[in-house]
Amino acid sequence: MLALKIKDIVFKNPIMVASGTFGYGNEASDLVDLSKFGGIITKSVTRYSREGNPPPRICEVASGMLNSIGLANLGVEDYVQKKIPFLNKIDSNVVINIAGTKIEDYIETLEILEGASGNHVAYEINISCPNINEGGLEFGVSSKLTKSLTKELRSRTDKILIMKLSPNVTSISEIGQAAQEGGADAVSAINTLVGMAIDINSKKPKLSTNMGGLSGPCIKPVALANIFNLYKSLDIPIIGIGGISNDKDVIEFLLAGASLVQLGTINYKYPNLVDSIPQAIKDYFKLNSISDINEIIGALKSDD
Amino acid sequence: MIFNEICEIIYNKEIAKNIFEAKLSSDKISKSTKSGQFINILPSINFENAMRRPMSISYQDSESINIIYKSIGDGTRIMKKWRKGEKIDIIGPLGNHWEINPNKELVLLGGGVGIAPILNLYNEIEDKAKTKLFIGARDKDEHFLKHDETNNIYLSTDDGSYGIKGNLFDALKKIFSIKDLQDKVMYVCGPPIMMEVVSKFALDNNIECYLALETIMACGIGICQGCTLETNNNFKVKDYSYRSKYKLVCMDGPIFNAKDVKTCLL
Repeated sequence: MLALKIKDIVFKNPIMVASGTFGYGNEASDLVDLSKFGGIITKSVTRYSREGNPPPRICEVASGMLNSIGLANLGVEDYVQKKIPFLNKIDSNVVINIAGTKIEDYIETLEILEGASGNHVAYEINISCPNINEGGLEFGVSSKLTKSLTKELRSRTDKILIMKLSPNVTSISEIGQAAQEGGADAVSAINTLVGMAIDINSKKPKLSTNMGGLSGPCIKPVALANIFNLYKSLDIPIIGIGGISNDKDVIEFLLAGASLVQLGTINYKYPNLVDSIPQAIKDYFKLNSISDINEIIGALKSDD
Repeated sequence: MIFNEICEIIYNKEIAKNIFEAKLSSDKISKSTKSGQFINILPSINFENAMRRPMSISYQDSESINIIYKSIGDGTRIMKKWRKGEKIDIIGPLGNHWEINPNKELVLLGGGVGIAPILNLYNEIEDKAKTKLFIGARDKDEHFLKHDETNNIYLSTDDGSYGIKGNLFDALKKIFSIKDLQDKVMYVCGPPIMMEVVSKFALDNNIECYLALETIMACGIGICQGCTLETNNNFKVKDYSYRSKYKLVCMDGPIFNAKDVKTCLL
């Protein structure tokens, strides 16, 4: 009822975890049965290890939070050695998120992962991180760069290729189309919105980098609007992200056109939400005489 | 092993001015907690903020844990209204723990609400004759222990209304000379500025010193990478090679050796 295929890969349900909000999977494994997820997307990995940004890296805002982690990660070689053995044991689809600052970074990282004995089924390409100085987001705001990066990676893997899109653009549909033309199997959206918070006592920004990525329930309406626009302009599946906090939110995203969704900031409060969401969605399906998840994807009743 | 438990409030009471102690029933977390560790609390079922609230454990037995907190923000304002029997969602035990050096005399310093992990450590020490406990507060109303020099318990107040007049550092220097302290170990938790002063003092005078640090934290289990602390000697955490300059307070801490910490002003 909840299972869905992308390429030849079956996702047992539409619930995944968003990159950067679930570490490498092992950290939360005491608290949640990882096999209940349709997919697990690991924290962005880069060609070389990154320390990330100075503290403070996070702060709370109304109905959400800001973060500026700066892609702290152990680098792809350590990832292959230290993380893939654990990930290979998980009974869920593992998706590896890759970030970079120039095209060669992405290519080399992907090639190393292709050569590793991982059971991962997909790559999600982060072209939309707002928290690094050296680029990254540059790809995500340019249709031309998005298309050429997608093409380069497409020619190097048969696994599912997902381009993760930024909402910090004039037209997300244009970037989505560029990814589709470049050969992506799916797009995921949205990454965080650029935001800021200020401490009025110290008169300083609350993040060391001044600005960071806004996430949580406050961005859900923005995310839905972006999914809706992408669904109208793309033929490939869309993976919805942005403030999803319960089963009703998941259904909203499916109606707007998402095939799968990712839980993000909510993982910090409820790491085991996946225990209850799939059943709650099934209950909704029964109540609404839906027998297959494909019936509800993009089934929004809209005049437009 | 980390657990997610639904606890019941056994009691929640104001033990000093705006300082509260809550006792929570706990089946699993209580049994595996070591002093210095913390829990990440959801103050209420429908808590709208994005983050849980990390709280140090001040006491644990086989079926319950205690926390001590000051009501200052969104989370603690809800917590102070907790009633007996209310159900609370907690995750723990989290972080590393104090290491007691059995060969040395111990000096414990707790200031403000930083007393929870210090009291827990104090309870754990069997030979209290070799331990000196310092607790600092702004005034008499913020204290809930008794100044008792014969049992090596020294309380201080900024305004001199109770115990030794001055801050924790003043009290420490009144009881000990620098030379006295050099063969002892200090365990410290309190306001960042106090920790910074004591930590610098310890380093300048070659005194072994451990700090329980606190910072803004989201997940508490190392998945968000938000609660970073800058360290100054680039020691590497096993298996996490990228965390050399910046450590996570939630996983690599909250207890750090003072010599590894660049600043306590997080």
